[in-house]
Amino acid sequence: MSLAAEAFVGQIAAAEPWPESATLYQPLNDEQILLSDNASSLAVQAYLKMCSLPVRVSCRVNAEFMSPSGKVPFIHVGNQVVSELGPIVQFTKAKGFSLSEGLDDVQRAEMKAYMELVNNMLLTAELYIQWCDDTTAAEISRPRYSSPYSWPLSHILAYQKQWEVRRKMSAIGWAGKSLEQVYEDVSQCCQALSQRLGTQLYFFNKQPTELDALVFGHIFTILTTRLTSDELAERVKVYSNLLSFCKRIEQTFFEESDQSPGSSRYSKGPTLT
Amino acid sequence: MAAPLELYIWKGDWGLPSVDADCLTVLAYAKFAGAPLKVHKITNPWRSPTGILPALKTRENGSVSQPSKIIINLRKQKYNADYDLSAKEGADTLAFVSLLEEKLLPALIYTLWVDAKNYVDVTRRWYAENITFPLNFLLPNRMHNQQMERLRLVRGDPFLEPGEELEKELYQDALECMTLLSQRLGSHKFFFGDSPSSLDAYVFGHLAPLLKIKLPNGKLQNHLTSLDNLRQFCTNILVLYFPSDVREPPTRKMSVQPDGGDFDNEPHKRRNQFLSALVAIGAMLGYAILTGIVSLKDIRPQGAIESSPLREEEEEEEGEEDE
Repeated sequence: MSLAAEAFVGQIAAAEPWPESATLYQPLNDEQILLSDNASSLAVQAYLKMCSLPVRVSCRVNAEFMSPSGKVPFIHVGNQVVSELGPIVQFTKAKGFSLSEGLDDVQRAEMKAYMELVNNMLLTAELYIQWCDDTTAAEISRPRYSSPYSWPLSHILAYQKQWEVRRKMSAIGWAGKSLEQVYEDVSQCCQALSQRLGTQLYFFNKQPTELDALVFGHIFTILTTRLTSDELAERVKVYSNLLSFCKRIEQTFFEESDQSPGSSRYSKGPTLT
Repeated sequence: MAAPLELYIWKGDWGLPSVDADCLTVLAYAKFAGAPLKVHKITNPWRSPTGILPALKTRENGSVSQPSKIIINLRKQKYNADYDLSAKEGADTLAFVSLLEEKLLPALIYTLWVDAKNYVDVTRRWYAENITFPLNFLLPNRMHNQQMERLRLVRGDPFLEPGEELEKELYQDALECMTLLSQRLGSHKFFFGDSPSSLDAYVFGHLAPLLKIKLPNGKLQNHLTSLDNLRQFCTNILVLYFPSDVREPPTRKMSVQPDGGDFDNEPHKRRNQFLSALVAIGAMLGYAILTGIVSLKDIRPQGAIESSPLREEEEEEEGEEDE
């Protein structure tokens, strides 16, 4: 969002309370949504739950095209439409709901740095595995992404998306990486997160913050999504404190309202084993 | 005896050992880790073993190019500046490096390569003057386009154009990033205690160009200079680890001065202009005379001259009429 738009939204946001009819839009859960989008959507849902803000999840085929920035998920609150976790956090902050106010400056710096780490490494790795790995792209990503559309639109859209992601990968220097190196990067990232979490309940001890929501979204999705190989999930499972962290967040924030975070992506099974 | 490791980087200027952020990062890390490197400061990226700079050439493992790969390579050879870091500090390093790359690097690219005034006055000029002929006509433009493309892809907007709005957004992110780094550094000498680590190398690599390169449009620079501890951090590293480069006199200052700059650079500019005008006029006159557009005749017997061409014409006309 541009700065002027942000300021405007912030002003309007501060004026109104959070309505009951707030909706979160994402692609279709069972047939269409992909790993990376699911992770982002889950992160936002977790964050809103942590703030105790009610939101309805609505699955739409064209969610990606409805979104103002082209990325899912986005929320529709009152008159405003805000997409992606970063702007959504600022939006809720303008309404007076913030999870990171109790942090001091150094902690806030660390929180932002770790959020960038997750975005930089985990999200990019997810995109790489989905679109740059030929088997996964052919067997899972392209069919799922284009499932709501008929031929030839499905063909065109799927390849367009793949081409766009591949170009992005080469711009940031990931094109030369092999799948093994990407898995290695994921392991490193999870190791860093695991070390930072240590034995604490949440990343900044007693209270969950947006970092916890983001990490939960990604790790949970990686663990519960079946791809062509289980390598990714296996790499993450090594870090037991991350596993128990995910379970804890799931139990605290998702099970109480009887909503499963939609773990049945490709495998119809309950949550974490 | 040749050192087993050779590092190819961009040349330095403005008191920096190298003008490129990635090269600075790698160089700083090598110094921190005490790696014995033979450093080649070149201006032709096609001469580097991998085709891009920075590049590390090892005897056994060939050549590697990206900073992260180079650092991993050095670590494998037991030159590790992160040896003393705890697990949590190692994790923090990864996180802050990601922060740098996501928030600060786009703004750095923008201010050096996309912002019109900076690009034309400083960056393109430096690269054009320093890269050997004939690449100095090709490469700066190509690098400019590559950086624009990268910015477009990273922001996910294929129609991004350089402009005030984009600049404001990028700079806001970068200012926040710098403030966060400053808060994390506090009053320590380096990020993790008294000895520098890879995070220090990355931060130095990205901040030093901002600090030292004199840019006409210096919003980012102004904020950085206002953060005392970061400024002190960079100068400290420069003085401690690159003393020979700091002593280099700032020869660039004159060329960036706005008004008398041009005339300072070229003392014979007036003379050259006069000479070239003279040559142009001489050429035009010569052409005109040779083709007969202008004819030079004696001016003194004026009456005769005026009447003779007339008479000639009359004779011709009569001749034609007769025929």
